Order: sequence, then structure tokens, then C-alpha cells
Amino acid sequence: MTEIATTTERKPVVKNTQTLAKAGQYLTFMLNGEVYALGILNIKEIIAYGELTEVPMMPDFVRGVINLRGSVVPVIDLMARFGKGMTPIAKRSGIVIVETENGGEGSHDIGIIVDAVNEVIDIAQQEIEPPPNFGIGIRPDFINGMAKSNGRFIILLNGNRVLSVDEMAALSEAGETRPLDIE
Amino acid sequence: MSLDKEMQELLVNYTIESAELLQVMEEGLMELESIEESEETINAIFRAAHTIKGGAGIFGFEHIVGFTHVVESVLDAMRDGLLKVDSELVAALLPCCDHLGILVREIAKGHTEENSDLTKQSEKIIAGLQPFLDNAEGKQTDSSQVASQSIQVQDETHRVQNIECDNSKSGNWHLFLHFNPDCLRDGMDPLSFILYLTKLGEIIELTTSTQALPSAGEMDPESNYLIFEIVFKSDAEKADIENVFDFVRAGSQIHILPLESKIEYYIDLIDSLESDDMQLGELLIKCGVITRRELEEGLQAQQAKRERQQSQHIGDILIEQQTVQKPIVSAALEKQQRVKESKAIENQSIRVDAGRLDILIDLIGELVIAGASASLRASQTGDMALQEANAAVISLVEEVRDSALQLRMVPIGSTFSRFQRVVRDVSKELGKDIKLHISGADTEIDKSVVEKIGDPLMHLVRNAMDHGIEPAQLRIERDKPAQGNLQLNAYHSSGNIVIEVSDDGRGLDRDKILAKAVERGLIQVGETLSDQEVYSLIFEPGFSTADQISNLSGRGVGMDVVKRNITELRGDIAIDSTPGKGTTLRIYLPLTLAIIDGFLVGVGESSYVIPLDRVVECVALPPNENHDYMELRGEVLPFIRLRQLFNKKATLSKRQNVIVVEHLGVKAGLVVDKLKGELQTVIKPLGKLFGHVQGVGGSTILGSGEVALIIDVPTLLRQQEFASNTH
Repeated sequence: MTEIATTTERKPVVKNTQTLAKAGQYLTFMLNGEVYALGILNIKEIIAYGELTEVPMMPDFVRGVINLRGSVVPVIDLMARFGKGMTPIAKRSGIVIVETENGGEGSHDIGIIVDAVNEVIDIAQQEIEPPPNFGIGIRPDFINGMAKSNGRFIILLNGNRVLSVDEMAALSEAGETRPLDIE
Repeated sequence: MSLDKEMQELLVNYTIESAELLQVMEEGLMELESIEESEETINAIFRAAHTIKGGAGIFGFEHIVGFTHVVESVLDAMRDGLLKVDSELVAALLPCCDHLGILVREIAKGHTEENSDLTKQSEKIIAGLQPFLDNAEGKQTDSSQVASQSIQVQDETHRVQNIECDNSKSGNWHLFLHFNPDCLRDGMDPLSFILYLTKLGEIIELTTSTQALPSAGEMDPESNYLIFEIVFKSDAEKADIENVFDFVRAGSQIHILPLESKIEYYIDLIDSLESDDMQLGELLIKCGVITRRELEEGLQAQQAKRERQQSQHIGDILIEQQTVQKPIVSAALEKQQRVKESKAIENQSIRVDAGRLDILIDLIGELVIAGASASLRASQTGDMALQEANAAVISLVEEVRDSALQLRMVPIGSTFSRFQRVVRDVSKELGKDIKLHISGADTEIDKSVVEKIGDPLMHLVRNAMDHGIEPAQLRIERDKPAQGNLQLNAYHSSGNIVIEVSDDGRGLDRDKILAKAVERGLIQVGETLSDQEVYSLIFEPGFSTADQISNLSGRGVGMDVVKRNITELRGDIAIDSTPGKGTTLRIYLPLTLAIIDGFLVGVGESSYVIPLDRVVECVALPPNENHDYMELRGEVLPFIRLRQLFNKKATLSKRQNVIVVEHLGVKAGLVVDKLKGELQTVIKPLGKLFGHVQGVGGSTILGSGEVALIIDVPTLLRQQEFASNTH
């Protein structure tokens, strides 16, 4: 519980120090009707949604694990992570494998479920705007900026923060002990 | 590669090697203290110190060279028997090992220059060694006098049998001189050679043999018929003595043989030679037992024989030619054999980066999974030939996997022997007399387990010494021997490795533990607990029954850490204790962390693996069982419905099964939908994200490509207990 409390308190601080997304190539994908993008450099591969093994006693946003050519990779549901309910699995659903840095402890591969993968686009620096303080319905520190392309806003995600293993582990641990706390 | 980088790598090797050598030294010293002195052990210690010094010299670490040199001098004196090996000497040498360790570690950290603190410490330790050195020097002068007086002669060769031997006047060389019959004609007088010989030493005995003298009619007065046999005493080298007869060599038979006392000297010399793989002849020349000329003659003779299709060993030829006695040749041959063997052993072991091994084992893990997948597909085709081919591949892969895992196995002995020192130091500190017994030292265990087991073991050993074993006074009162015994034992038992730490001390005090547990609110008053449950209370954080907190233990931190460390290794710890008799702690560890034998079960749509060593049996769930326990042969068996626990919504199968698992002697059932059989599988860690999940110990990839979770029985049961306690 305390973990959550500290993360909530830290939010404004994080936002101030947060740097705006840099120009470069981004992979865009659809989630619940919105266009999101992640920097291409952190993306390892995209696979079709396949057999997934659920791990018991984990929060909703951890959908399970998959076998990625011999390594076991956790799969995260971003919608659940943003607190917007579970992503329904459809024909075009895919899993994007992202490499995240974890504060000096090396990198982790994490999969995220997406409704559909769009394309890889170049985004110039002048197209990137800072995210609004509210209105998107996602924790501001998850967003690195907004970019406009073809008349649509694209939400540029801060991969390392959205997929922070430390934070997610703390959340699932807290989630598990919560009922006991109440008792 | 730049020179700097190369040096850097060499330096890393040096520090690793030095650490190992220091370990050898320490073990050797401990051995010296416990057993009566053995030459081999002293030699081993000396060699270790010498190698460290040599390495330091290469890198120019003068402070290490200087320090080691002093240590080496003391060891040298021990080797020569000038210093008596006793606990005092060992006690003085052990800090040297420690200090060397510090010096080497400093270098490993990159501080290659000496710093003043360490130098001061070096000087202090050296000062501690000085009395021993002084003592040794005093003795050296005495003993050299004794040695010069005590050479004894025991004639061995038949030629000298008839020589009267006087012990007070004895020689060390036997010379057989059969001069060339023509030598007088050539202007050589045998007498002059014999007289010249006296310049090199003393002629103890001289026998003139006249056997070769013909009858007067046939005798040529200008020819030499006499054969001289001389027992000669000299400190000169064989080659020097031989040189005396250089001028009459042609046509003469001259044999110079060392006598008994000299033979021993040569044998010792051969043994002590630090030689690489060298030829027998070279070896003999090097220690001076034969001269190069003699060797060449021998080789010629060998060549000649070979031409006549007779092969003979050079050693035998040299004996035949009477240039050397058999014992020396045998000693040299043995030495040669030893050198060869040790070379062979050196060649057999390769130092490999542990990371590379891990990669190999990971890859083989993949291969196992891929193989399982291939054979699954093959069995689906119904093609017999393909299935057979696949089966062959699988069995090979399994063999490869087993031998790859063997690569990581190391004997636990080196971990155990470290405790000799610990026990020695701690027992001194505590003022108790405690002896450590080690058994099962060659039990092999995965290297990664060995690395992690050191700390928990250290805790258990210290605990046993501090709390377990009573002070000598108390022991005598209780009719026990004053010396306490501590035993470290390791053995394999049904897929596990078991490490035992046992003492013959006071045993665990059940009542005291219970009282303490009640006091700390861990249990309720009047709760009935089994012995095993009571004992396991000592693993609770902050639990200590010691009345006094000592430097070593009693603070109550430790046992819970021990327990946690062992649990992390997928191991278990059990306690067996008899009041007044002693305590035995048994640590159960898996053989390897990488692969387990598992039992595959289905729950809903998912598959789970239960480690096979936990599984006792499988029984069918009695129909219409509504509560969470059942009867198993007259006993109550509580069970966990995995379907409920894991929140599986799929339809119930008609027939459910119960897997009976056991943990620390407690049986419990796991209700599953399907039994899918045994499999051997590679453990894939789930990563930090799932670190807190109770009851799941990892994952594995099945032949179908599906990920199956591995059920961690101990944490699953604990979690259930915890849940039912809080309800």
C-alpha cells in the first residue's frame, strides 16, 4: 500500500523533470480506439497473439506469460494498467515485445497486448507537444508527449515508466496483500 | 590485444590463482595442526607460497615478494626439519595467510602500490615470525655438524663385500678401476691417478685384485693387469671424480658408483628436483648421479642393441654398465612417472568462465525443449521411422544435458574444509575445545548452490558452537568428553543433496523455545505442537533463546536468514534434536538449480508442473467430497483445490485427482483435473515481476511450446496455512 502512496505523491515531481519525447521513428498501434506510439529503438519484435499462460494471483494488467523462442516473457495489458478495463482479444490482436531498462539492473523483455499494429512513422521534433495535464485519463508520467500526424493525435508513451518492472511488482504485491490488510 | 590489457588479464588470473593457493596453504596449515607433521603437506604449503611470490615478482609487487619471502624462509626451515611444527608455529603462520589474502585482494581491487597501513601490518606479522627464524638458524649450524659425522656405509654391491668396513671411516663412493692394459706403455701410471684422487677426498679402503694376472710365463711386464677397487670419501661431484681418469679413459673400464648413503641422497635429490617432463638420462645427469659421458655410452649401447633387434630401457643399460644403482634409477623413473601424471592432470582441467557454462546449459535447455517439441510433432504424424529417429535424438540430447550439468558439479569438500579454520578460531574465541569432523567431502553439488550455501552453513556452524556445544566444564559434569564434536556431512538422497551440521551439545530446549514463542506471541498458550513444529520456530525472525548475546550469535538474526537463503535455493531445512545429546540440522538441496524432474498436471486449460521429489502418490478424489479434506488410509489429508486457488473457470472434469505432496513430513493434497505424467524439465525463472507470487516457483516450456508454471509446494502450503490462520 505504501508503495502506491509514494508513487501517487511522486507524480508531480516526475512530471516536472520529465523530458519531452525526442524526434525519431515510432511504432504506432491501436488500443481501445486511440493511437499510441513507442520509440522504435526499444521494440524488439511484434508477434501475433498466441497461447498465453495465466499466472495466478497477479493483478489484471499482467495477462500472463508467453514462450518467446525459449524465454518466458510476461505480457502486460496496457488498458488494464491505465485502469480502463481489460483489452478484449480480437483477430488482429498482437503482442509487441519491448525492451525496458530497469534502473541499472539490466533490461527486461516485456510484451504488451495491442488491438492492432499500425505503422512505423517519423516524427519531427516540432510535431511533438507536451502532454496536457489532464484529459487523456492516463497518469501523466506515463506520457512523453503528443504528436500530430495525419490530423490525429498520437500518444507517445514513456515505455520505461509504463512498463517499470519495479513499480508493477510492487503493485501486484500490494494488490495481493490488500484483502489481508482490510481484515 | 594491447600489452596493458594482456597484463590485466594475467593479473586477474594471478589473483584468482593466489586465492586458491592461499586456500591450499590454509588447509595445509590446519592439517599440520591436527595431524602430526607430514612432509608432503609442508611441501604443498611451501609450493603455494612460492608460486604466490613468483607471480608477485612478475608483476613487480615488491611488498608481496618481500612479505612472502619471510614466510617462505620459515616454511623452508620447517621443510628442513629445523623448526618443530606445533600449534604455536601454525598460529603464527595463519595470520600470514590472511594478510597475504588482504594484499592480493588489494591488488585485485586495483591498488597495486603498497599502502602504509598494510606495510605496518606486514612488518608486525614478520616480527612475529622472527623468533622462529632465529630459532631455526641456531639449529642449522648444529645439524650440519652432526650430518658430517654420521655418514654410514653399508656395502651393497658384491664387489665390495669383501672389504672390511669400519664405520668410523666410511666412504661414499665406490670406484672400480680396471685400467687399460696398455696404459703403462702410454706413459700413464695407475698409481699417479690414485694418488691424484686423494686430492679430491680420502681413500678409505683400497683393494687390489690380482685375478687377471696371468701365469709368470705369459705375463708381459709392460702391461697392467691389476684391478683396483676403492672406497672413496669425497664431497666432490661424480663428474669431478670421473675427470681424474680422463687420460686413461680409452680402453679402461672405470665405474664410479655411489654407496648406500649417497644413494639415499640422490633419491632425495631426484624427488626434490622441480623438473618438467624430462628424459630419464637428463634427470640423472641433472642431479649428478651420472655424467654426460656415461649417458652417451649408455645411449650408444642402447642403439647397438636396437640394431640387433633387442630393445632395452636406458635405465637398465645404465645399471648393467654399473654406472648407477637400481634404486636410483627406480626413483628417477618414479619421479618421471609422477611428472607425467601431474602434467596429465593439469591438461585435464581447464579454467572456464562460469558465464560460458551457463550459456551452454541454457542452450541445452532450449535443445531439450525443442527436442520434446519435435518428438511431439513426430508422434502426431504416426510415421514410425521419424519417431524412432526422434527418440534417438532425444536420448542423445538427454545425455548431452546430463554431461553438461556435470560440468557445473563441484565437490563440496572445499566448502567444508574452510570451516576447519572457522571452527579453530571460533573455538579459541569461545574457550571451548571443539573438533570438526568432515565426511562426504566428495559429494558433488551444483556450483551455483555451493556458492550460496557458504553463508547459511557458516551461521549454522557458529550457532552450533556457541549455543549447541556446552563449555568443557559442563560437558564433564554431564559425563561427556570434554572435547566437543561438530560434524559436517554431505550425501545424496533421492534426488536431493543433504548437508548435515550436527553437534553433540545440549540439544534444543523444547520448553524454552515454547516459552519464548508464547512471549513473542508466535503461538498461543496451550497450543500443542509437534517437536518438528517447535524446532522450526527458531527460524522465525528475531527468535533467540540465548540468555546472553555474544559476539557470535544470540541476537536472533540469522536463523531466519538461513532459512530464507535455503528456501531461495529451493531447499529445505529440518532439525533433529535430542536434549542433552545434540542437534542435527539437515539441509536438503536440489542437485541442480537448472533442471527438475516434475509431474505434469492439468488444471482447467493450463498445465502445471509439481516437482517430483515432493510427490508421494496420486489418488482419485472421492466423489461428492465437499469439504477440503479427505481420508487417506485412515489419516486426514487436507487438500488445496488448485482450480479454485488459480481461479480457473473452465468446466469441471468428471474425475478429479489428488496429488499427495509432502513437505517437512507434513502431507497435503493438491486437487487437479488431469494427470499428464512425469517429465524432466528446464526451469525458467519468472523474473522480478512475479517474485512475490506464492506457490509458483518458476516456469518451464513444454514440448507443445506452452508455458507451464512450476508449483512451489513449500510456499504454497505456507500460504494456505497463513490464509487459514488469518480467517
